[in-house]
Amino acid sequence: MERKHILRFLIILMFVALLAGLLNLDLLQGAKFRRLSDSNCIRLIAQSGARGNILDRHGQVIVDNKISYDVLILPQELNQLDRILSGVSRILGVETKELKDAFRSNYISSSIPVTVAGNIDLKKAVLLGEYKMEEPSIIIQPRPLRNYPYGALASHVIGYVNEIDRWRLTKLEDYGYKTKDIVGFGGVEEKYDYYLRQEEGGLSVEVNHRGKFMRVLGFEPPVNGKDVQLTLDLNIQKIAEDSLAARKGSIVLMDPQSGQVLALANYPNFNPAVFVSKRTRLISGLFNNPDAPLINRATSSSYPPASVFKLVVASAALELKKINLSTSFLCRGWTMIGARKFSCWDVHGAQDIVAAIAHSCDVFFYKTGLLTGAQNIHDYALKLGLGRSPGFELPYETAGFIPSPLWRKINKFQNWFDGDTANLSIGQGDCLVSPLQAAGMMAVFANGGYLPSPYIIKAVGGLDLSAKKRKLSRVDFKKSTFEIICRGLRAVVADARGTGNVLAGLGVKVAGKTGTAQVSRGSTHAWFVGFFPFDNPKYVICVLLENGGPGHAACVVARQVIEAMNKRNLI
Amino acid sequence: MRSSFLRILVLALIISSLGVLSIYSSTYQKEGTPWQDIHMRQMLWILIGLICFFIMAHLNYRRLWDINYLIYGVAIFFLLLVFGLGIIRLGAQRWLKFAWFNFQPSEFAKLAVIIFLARYFSRKSADDISLLSGKFGIFRGIILPFIFVAVPMFLIIEQPDLGSGLMLLLVFVSLLYLTNVRLKYIIALMFIIMLPLPFFWHFLRDYQKQRLLVFLNPNIDPLGAGYTVIQSRIAIGSGGLLGKGWLSGTQSQLFFLPESHTDFIFATFSEQWGFLGSSLLLLMYYLIIRQGFIIAGRTQDSFGRLLAYGISLLLALQVFINIAMNMGLAPVVGLPLPLMSYGGSSVLSTFIALGILVNIDRTRSVF
Repeated sequence: MERKHILRFLIILMFVALLAGLLNLDLLQGAKFRRLSDSNCIRLIAQSGARGNILDRHGQVIVDNKISYDVLILPQELNQLDRILSGVSRILGVETKELKDAFRSNYISSSIPVTVAGNIDLKKAVLLGEYKMEEPSIIIQPRPLRNYPYGALASHVIGYVNEIDRWRLTKLEDYGYKTKDIVGFGGVEEKYDYYLRQEEGGLSVEVNHRGKFMRVLGFEPPVNGKDVQLTLDLNIQKIAEDSLAARKGSIVLMDPQSGQVLALANYPNFNPAVFVSKRTRLISGLFNNPDAPLINRATSSSYPPASVFKLVVASAALELKKINLSTSFLCRGWTMIGARKFSCWDVHGAQDIVAAIAHSCDVFFYKTGLLTGAQNIHDYALKLGLGRSPGFELPYETAGFIPSPLWRKINKFQNWFDGDTANLSIGQGDCLVSPLQAAGMMAVFANGGYLPSPYIIKAVGGLDLSAKKRKLSRVDFKKSTFEIICRGLRAVVADARGTGNVLAGLGVKVAGKTGTAQVSRGSTHAWFVGFFPFDNPKYVICVLLENGGPGHAACVVARQVIEAMNKRNLI
Repeated sequence: MRSSFLRILVLALIISSLGVLSIYSSTYQKEGTPWQDIHMRQMLWILIGLICFFIMAHLNYRRLWDINYLIYGVAIFFLLLVFGLGIIRLGAQRWLKFAWFNFQPSEFAKLAVIIFLARYFSRKSADDISLLSGKFGIFRGIILPFIFVAVPMFLIIEQPDLGSGLMLLLVFVSLLYLTNVRLKYIIALMFIIMLPLPFFWHFLRDYQKQRLLVFLNPNIDPLGAGYTVIQSRIAIGSGGLLGKGWLSGTQSQLFFLPESHTDFIFATFSEQWGFLGSSLLLLMYYLIIRQGFIIAGRTQDSFGRLLAYGISLLLALQVFINIAMNMGLAPVVGLPLPLMSYGGSSVLSTFIALGILVNIDRTRSVF
């Protein structure tokens, strides 16, 4: 071949090589280089929307957001940065060094604006906005922060917000959660985080090779989270918290017809605002407090139900025809079961079922319990919603516990004795019930045979969920059983010697059952579980005072609540 | 014959217009007067280039045969001037400052060397009108012309302009190959040149060593010497199939890509016009070079033929090395893309070369 042909061939080869190179860069690796090119010149400035508000049943705000402002700066050359930071420090009245330190510690990468100051007020934000005319690389970003106008009110229902932790992040990564996201912890904030959560929008801006702002490319408005409306009544909630008045314990008010929780108060409680303002000392104080202020006692703690449990024994015995209205036992202040002496708290004399409930006679229920049998008592407790999760919406609810001979045999390899039955009959021993469960049980007697599953979310994002949430399961006791027990419950208050007599004469007919739970250490827990008005029950109330003394103490608190509600025409 | 004139003119005009568009797009956002009217200056150079093109197209190229030593001498003179001024000013310099423009002698020196070589290898025997080059021994065939090439090459490399210097060497070797000089001499020459290459490494300047190392792996110094190649590859690659559109190239217009209007104008162009635009540009360059080869092929006169080959090869090699360097396929050597890159000397010398090419085709019928 001639040399010139070879040369021509080589030239063609060169151009083919160039074409192949173009093909490789443009088409095979085009997407990658496009991304690289974009990351060169496009900076994303995230803008967060507001987390959804939490409202009470009448639409009053319990938790909302306030706007605070952050100052961000686009990373760029050092000498320029110095100039900008000194300008910002003049306006904010903060030392330049402080801002520089903040810049250094918050710097992530050259493509992400750096927060140099947070939480500045509106006036300074406006001043900085003017300074932005000169230095367009300053970004002032409004950031909604959680705002709690009522402080610690209903704190256990609401929960708090904080930066996502590692455990939640691994669980929620697939749902679009990222590190440093603010998520709910405890209460509605945690359980309904997915709805309350805002969607991040943002600004994409173009910068040149020095990081200087060129123009805005696009803006995606952030989407606010959905509002969550609770069944809570702010007025009743306030009354409940005021009545609890710094006594350890909890108060639950529920609508017996639907299961809506109207008030849920616990003490000790906490102010969720400390998590927003990041006051580390206060936060660690909350976690280290031996009284566990973060625990929602009404749903997450369980206590021995004591005499409140006698209602279970009574209904089991009546249903199984072990006793009837005319059955009566003599209370001499004690009785022998096996070789052990079981005492009553008083000497009641001859007691029928109504009187025994009214006076909370232990002897009557020892004997009734022995007639009924422990396994039957266990089964009826479960029918009344004890010993199993009520399926409430707040996280970390407890199922409580009701022992039975079978359980004892299987789990502890121990036999069940009559003494155990006697103990169970007065709600002591291994038996544990949460205040919410006690209120649920009382609702069955209040509404005449339906066990409600309690709920607290009325609507999410304006969509009413009550119809969906309202679940009543039939408790198929005889009508007479309810009648007899309700007579007893009324007698607790109405009878001059009834344990809840302090609740009489309030202008509203109250019925209920007291309880005094013995605990291994410290003073007894005080219970009062009841409903009112007696003829047309609208509220179920459960008061529990942890180490609060005898049941009488709980009755006094319940009286305060009912009095205050009556005064404000809430009944 | 007319058609080759028209074809080359039209192609060159299209390419240089695309060049002006690219220069405008990469500089219009810069502040200051020298940047604002840089595309106007380029248009002026193209206009002057066109005039030179017409003049050269009508001036019989055989005149170059006559004044060939003069051209060579003048080229050496200017190169020496640059070299001398560089020594005096203790700084590297590739151009001479004239009243309102910078004159870069190396661009013209390339052309001068090609004319010289074409004449050298097309001398004829006085006895039988056969080409002398066929009878050249190793001295007259290789060593003597190499000396003539080596002098300007050395001066250019010393400027320092490694790219243009190596360009001369490449054109020299390929022209040798086209003449009747024996292949074994050429191979011997190549061997002699290759042998001391590792030794030359020590004579390279630091930045040149850097560039060569970076060519092998741009990521060893992403913000320093490797920066340009990385950004240029990003610019080309991000163009995709259709490009980002004129004036929408972020790499070049936001100044991520250095030298976006001179050596890296191909990246600027490719970012905005994509694979389609770039391959059309490649096609146009190929068509011009092919035209050169066709002209060379049908020219009987051996001086004209060698000259046409030389010009086409010069064009082809510059285009290839520049674009390959833009894509990161060749080390960054600082070579303009003919007709597109901003720079009067480059535009002018390319138009002159094309004018000569056209004239060779016009006058071949004389013989």
